[in-house]
Amino acid sequence: MRWQKELRGWLLASPYFLSALLFFLIPLGWSLSLVFFEWNLIAPVRPFVGLGNFIEAFKSTRVHHAFFNTYKFMAIFVPGVLAASLGLALIVQHLPRLKHLYAVGFFLPYLASGVAIGLVVRGLLSYDSPFNEFLRKIFGEAPRWLRDPVWATVVISLMIIWKFSGYYALIFLAGLQGIPRELYEAAALDGAGPFTQFRKITLPLLYPAFYTVLVLAVGLCFGIFTEPYVLTGGGPRFATHTWQLEIYYQAFERFRAGYGAAVAVFNAVATFLSILVIRGVVESWGARKGFR
Amino acid sequence: MSGRAKNLSFMALYLLATAVLALMVLPYFYMLIQSLAPWREVDRVFLPSALGLHSYQWLLAGGTAALPRPWLRAWGNTALVATTVTLSRVVVGAVVGYALSVLSFRGRRAIQNLILFQMFYPGIILLIPAFLLIRVMGLYDTYLSMILPGLVSTWAIFMYANFFRSIPKEVIESARMDGAGELRIIFQIMVPLARTVTTIFFLFLFMERWVELLWDLIVVRDPMKQTLNVLLATMFGPYGGYAGPLYAAGVLLTFPILLVFLLFSRRFVSGVSLVISP
Repeated sequence: MRWQKELRGWLLASPYFLSALLFFLIPLGWSLSLVFFEWNLIAPVRPFVGLGNFIEAFKSTRVHHAFFNTYKFMAIFVPGVLAASLGLALIVQHLPRLKHLYAVGFFLPYLASGVAIGLVVRGLLSYDSPFNEFLRKIFGEAPRWLRDPVWATVVISLMIIWKFSGYYALIFLAGLQGIPRELYEAAALDGAGPFTQFRKITLPLLYPAFYTVLVLAVGLCFGIFTEPYVLTGGGPRFATHTWQLEIYYQAFERFRAGYGAAVAVFNAVATFLSILVIRGVVESWGARKGFR
Repeated sequence: MSGRAKNLSFMALYLLATAVLALMVLPYFYMLIQSLAPWREVDRVFLPSALGLHSYQWLLAGGTAALPRPWLRAWGNTALVATTVTLSRVVVGAVVGYALSVLSFRGRRAIQNLILFQMFYPGIILLIPAFLLIRVMGLYDTYLSMILPGLVSTWAIFMYANFFRSIPKEVIESARMDGAGELRIIFQIMVPLARTVTTIFFLFLFMERWVELLWDLIVVRDPMKQTLNVLLATMFGPYGGYAGPLYAAGVLLTFPILLVFLLFSRRFVSGVSLVISP
């Protein structure tokens, strides 16, 4: 019967519908009004401030730090993780045996809690850790790591590279396995060496995988939270301050719900525009090179 | 290449692969070894002179110096939240994914579009209003605040719908002929057919919930209800001196999930390419 069919569909889809209503559509609507008010989460009065929150966020040096730091993280993380994950994928692809074992091993960092790894990094880099003692013995001194603005950025970027390279390697590996062997055989017959084969066959045909990883990696930079939260608190001197730290700080430490929501809107806009620009650049570069 | 040169280059490759693998597991190894080290040597010596369970004893039974936090309980909280949420996400994913890919009903397209919209909508904008909603509902500082918002994953629905679309219609039709109801078709035919990807979904979803920090940090304050991840994050400052027990807590947080993963790792490599392809 017709109505029974309709009902069945709706009934089976209802868990999604209920949850979307409650935890997507209602918060979505709420966020639209929240940003125009100054509200400390407790007071009964919520003064309307119009675009005040956006203007304040636009001028805030804390937000500027979060904005620019994201691109600093990106400058280290994106090339780093692309190189690392492609390298891992190539290693796994060329191993004659135990491919799976190594692929699984390389993936293990992805399972780590950022908090637990933060603990390890803090210990490894603490003033009199064996690693720093070793550096002091060789070079006479060791960096102050998390207290140094540049090193802190590098350390957090490396942590995220470590975590994601094995995961992205699986995407590259799927791409590598899609390349027909005959292409290499034909190229070898034409006298192309391994390096030429890599440049002329592997890299162009890996373009879709490269593109996927790039977009994922860029998007990730806008959501960094755990590592700086536990290790640096955004310091030193805001060098590792991020969007999410700022939103968390404003909304849940200073209890400025409206302002925090406005910063979140800026975060989303910055993410969207950056990904759009990077996609545009990479797509036109790919089209010019004749990749797909 | 001659056979000999080939062997040599394979050996070099294995050497490289093993060195990289060592780098990948080094933090886990360090965490484990430091959790077993005598307290004087934690973070001072790379390989401790003796191994013992001192840190774990302190963590679970409490020491004399400071009130122990409810670590074991926090571990239970994490396990409870992650298990409930993951089970629900997989079950709901299969049911809704089935409805959207196999059944036809009015409004199906609208729901599909809503799911896509939700998947691409920046979640960060919803963080604060979702928290306010939890407060309004009276769920602040409860287990439900961690569980309820996570019961449904659009990703799981989307992936199941994609996978079920590739299953031939005849399979479903013949099951219907035999008088099987929709739920039976889903859980006795469709999900078993999707065994490999289901394992992958479980792993990814479980892992994702197990290491959640920001949301759990916001909605729960009571140390008895905090997850291990949150408890550990709040211990970074004041308990910095107790590095040994903190490493032990890190092991409790990290190793169960490694174990679960390694148990399923055979299926992982074969299945994961179905889930993530460029």
